[in-house]
Amino acid sequence: MYDETIQRSARKQKAEPILFEHPMQDVVVGCFDRRTADPVSVILTGTAGDGKTHLCRQVWKALNGEEKAWASNDPHLTLEYQYPKDRLAWPDNTDPSLLRPIKIHFIRDLSGWVPQSGIDWEPAKQELLLRFCGSLVSPEHDEVFLIAANDGTLLETWRKLPQIDVVVRARELFEELLVRERQERAGVRLRFFNLSRTNSAELFDRALDAFLKHPGWTDLRSQAGTQTGLFGPQCPIRHNFELLGNDLVRGRLRALLELCDHNGLHIPIRQILLLLTNALLGHPAAKDHLMSADDVPKIIEAGTTSMASLYNNIFGANLPEIRRLEVTVFDYLERFQIGHETSNRIDNILIFGEGDEHLGAYFDTLVAKDSFYGADSRFYAAKKQYIEGTDETGEKSQAFLDLLRSQRRAMFFKIDKSFETELKLWDLTVFRFAGEYLNDVASVLRRGGPVKRPILSRLVKGLNRVFTGMLVNSDRELFLATSGNNSQAKVSRILIEAVSVDPKKGEKVILRHDSADDRINLIVFFTPELYVPFELTLIRYEFLSRIAMEGALPASFSKECYEDLLALKSQLLATHAKRQALDGPVEGGAVRLGILALTDQGMPDPRYVEVIP
Amino acid sequence: MTANHPVPLPSPEIIDPSMWVDEAIWGHRLHDEQSPWMVFLEFLNVFQYELEKGRAFEEPNGFNTLKYQAAQRLYLRNILFNNPHIAEVRAEVAHNDNRWDEWLKRMKKSATGIAQPDFAYLRERFHTFDDFADVIALVRSSSIEVDSNKRWTSKFVFPFGKHCLYEDLDNKASSNDRRFFGRTGEMLYLMCCRARSKKELLAALVQSIKKADPTWDRIVRTLQPAEDDSPSRDRANAFLPYGTNNGFDDLAEDWLAILRLNIAGFDVFPHLVNLAGLHVVKYQLSVSRQWIGLDTPPSFVCEVVAPRKTLVREVSCELYQENNLLPAQAVEAYLARIEASSEWKQALTEHGSFEKCRSILREAVRWGEDDDYSGSSNPESLFAELRRSAMKRHRQHVANIHRNYGREIGLVSKRGTVKLRYAPNDSLLKTLLLANVEKRMELNDFLAKLMTRYGIVFGDREAENVLTKGDFDKKAFRANSRRLEQRLGSLGVLKRLSDACAYVVNPYCQEAK
Repeated sequence: MYDETIQRSARKQKAEPILFEHPMQDVVVGCFDRRTADPVSVILTGTAGDGKTHLCRQVWKALNGEEKAWASNDPHLTLEYQYPKDRLAWPDNTDPSLLRPIKIHFIRDLSGWVPQSGIDWEPAKQELLLRFCGSLVSPEHDEVFLIAANDGTLLETWRKLPQIDVVVRARELFEELLVRERQERAGVRLRFFNLSRTNSAELFDRALDAFLKHPGWTDLRSQAGTQTGLFGPQCPIRHNFELLGNDLVRGRLRALLELCDHNGLHIPIRQILLLLTNALLGHPAAKDHLMSADDVPKIIEAGTTSMASLYNNIFGANLPEIRRLEVTVFDYLERFQIGHETSNRIDNILIFGEGDEHLGAYFDTLVAKDSFYGADSRFYAAKKQYIEGTDETGEKSQAFLDLLRSQRRAMFFKIDKSFETELKLWDLTVFRFAGEYLNDVASVLRRGGPVKRPILSRLVKGLNRVFTGMLVNSDRELFLATSGNNSQAKVSRILIEAVSVDPKKGEKVILRHDSADDRINLIVFFTPELYVPFELTLIRYEFLSRIAMEGALPASFSKECYEDLLALKSQLLATHAKRQALDGPVEGGAVRLGILALTDQGMPDPRYVEVIP
Repeated sequence: MTANHPVPLPSPEIIDPSMWVDEAIWGHRLHDEQSPWMVFLEFLNVFQYELEKGRAFEEPNGFNTLKYQAAQRLYLRNILFNNPHIAEVRAEVAHNDNRWDEWLKRMKKSATGIAQPDFAYLRERFHTFDDFADVIALVRSSSIEVDSNKRWTSKFVFPFGKHCLYEDLDNKASSNDRRFFGRTGEMLYLMCCRARSKKELLAALVQSIKKADPTWDRIVRTLQPAEDDSPSRDRANAFLPYGTNNGFDDLAEDWLAILRLNIAGFDVFPHLVNLAGLHVVKYQLSVSRQWIGLDTPPSFVCEVVAPRKTLVREVSCELYQENNLLPAQAVEAYLARIEASSEWKQALTEHGSFEKCRSILREAVRWGEDDDYSGSSNPESLFAELRRSAMKRHRQHVANIHRNYGREIGLVSKRGTVKLRYAPNDSLLKTLLLANVEKRMELNDFLAKLMTRYGIVFGDREAENVLTKGDFDKKAFRANSRRLEQRLGSLGVLKRLSDACAYVVNPYCQEAK
């Protein structure tokens, strides 16, 4: 229960904790509002740091639970609450005769409450959970539960209970709700919230606002003393703080988290706070790789301010590699390969830009002007050495390449929106189409607008290339082909069907945003009723785009996407067969085969062959 | 030797083969040159014949009385695999009719194994010679082991339907020399006959034949004359020594699981082949262990290939070596049992012991004629010679099943090292998943199931059960199962819910929804 630790440590430090409203708070607390909801049990699940205990506490407070009881170590608390006997008739009544008492059990930390593995159940606990299972299906039950548990623990606990009917059914229910991402099932008195499905970008907005608005900053600013003091004009912590508040930096960081969401990588609140803290305080040479107040003057004096670069700290570059990869958020951000990926143009600006007639202006704005993390004397010296090639051991070149990596990272956060296209900002990441994905696909669809036709065409072209194994250039139809014996073959020359991309006789291929789970889907319609949706994650978007543009499979993430697309093809073939079944069997004896070949322009040119039995 | 060694069924009355040791232990016979695909094709030939006779998966006349005939389809095979003329004719001859004429002329001359070859019927069945050529190219490209350089009589069209089934033949296309149809498919058929769920399996196979897209079978049939075909003489003498075995039941259940999935068209076959191969390997090793007197089933500690050498790899290599020696040890144990029998001991003490012993061996292992043995007339050297020749014969084929089949189905590999070990490839992992996960299953449960069902070990919980303290390293096996998780993820069959919870998901089940 990390929430408790935070509360305690805030009390001890006499600092206010960073507080913001969890996006799910209204919904969860609302489940216990007797005016609008009948007694219902709630399970809060999710990864460590998703805010499970925090939300439990909000419910406890809303129901006037005692703070002292909450502060105890007991993972199981109860309180009694009066619910109207008939909510629809008298939701607000206080007449005791019209109310009935309901006992609410708070199991705020299931893992701390159930027996450790290998130890037997305490009968009372086991009995309580069996009662919980029973209460799910009996509306008259006078107990409800609020259980906070990591999903693994939840299922493991139900596996350890005696496998009687109600237990098995409850476990199946949890599994179903988890895997199919549902919050409830008809006829069951349970609301099930998987906090790992909360939008990371939204959490980031809330967390960052609370972080920046913390009163402690104002105090610090008012106490800032000398030039080299804490929060003084040269203080890297202060500079990092200001950068975090900068719209451009904030926007780019948010974009990365949003893209993580679109790749199915969820970042819990605790990780976001960890990211913010590390971004602000990181310095590889400081104790624990984080700057303390006392470190600031020393760092400024030693001239190592640039090592506190927020742009590096965002990626955990202040931490040793082993530590860094253990932290989820850094592991996820690492996957963008920012700092490692680049384009000639960006590197030319960084290496040869100084004083160049075309690139000089960029170098000045993006690098030279930044007195904190831009070009310092170390950078200029290393660059000179690198260009002149006087380094024989390679050691110094390596040092320069490290600096270059930091500068590329900084570039990612410095290039202004108006130069995004010209400087190909997203070439600094492994996802070159990520900017387009966010701006021209995700946000357009979210607003209900149409995606530009060339984008859809490109995706279709990519799909066609994967489905046929040939360098098809066509984008007006989606070609479903097999190799005769294997729908998953690398090269498929037997044309089964061509599905029109533009609406035609019920067929179409469209992109759509699903507001229920904030996902982008590519949907292939065979008829208005028969269709196959395919979640267009960022990684799949990138894969298809690159196949369409370059024809080559980007090795780094090709295999997973390729398998996904073969599975899609198999689904499409099955759906096509379903539509054909509706048409009935083909009359006549001849067998007709479409053999797919390509014209010189890469346009499919099927040749039909008949076999007469 | 423990008392509860397996008791094989009586062997059939046949003269061939010359020695009956491997056969008595595992059956007639496991053949290493017959790849799992060939095993499956041979199986299909038997199955199709017995199905038409209305007795599939029954042994109506008792154990090991299977008698069937296989098609030969020499017109089809000459056209597909003994026909270099199409491209030449297209290049050299203009006009459709001339092409047909020329091609028919050439085929008449070169076709093998057909008494009066006449391919003229094909002309009626295609609009043009070019259409014909294109169709041939397609059918050929879908054939089994398409790039192999086997003789043309050992090449097989994909089993789209019954018109695609025929047996392996020798170079001259005159007789089945048992080179690539070495009866392992017949054994596989007998295993199914003796499986608990054979009725369900039969129903599922029949259903899948019914459901299959008939297009390609029709095309292949079109390539054959109306009255093809003269089937083979009776094929008999297949022998599977055990009336029941858990492995037979597991095989049938695995196949059933696959057949029940909603997989497109013929995509099920590769999985059936993988499972057939796996169960044959497992059968050989389990029976070996029983003969040696080990009462636990074999285990396969599998490495999910790591970039560097790991402890799991070491353990896997060692275990592979150990398992690889099991069949030879079983042969030793089998012979030792004869030597320890009261009959043999009695014979040693009697007058004319050499001849008596010799006759015991003739009876027990069909060995001991003058051709087999010409050494001195004493029972000890006779038996020593038996040992030597039995081992020699064993090493030629039967000893290689574990390695060859293991490699063919993707269980055994040298990837990233020089030594063989268990390192399943993606195709086998997918097969295992489809056979064992109906809808979805927690990753840990999946690992546990692979262990109990096949002895396949990936994770630390399972490894702890099968390995000695010295070989077990929790960390190494944890890392191994993490790599497995990543691999499954890259195959699109893993859904990670959080840091604590991951599911393996059967993608074909979702489609059915």
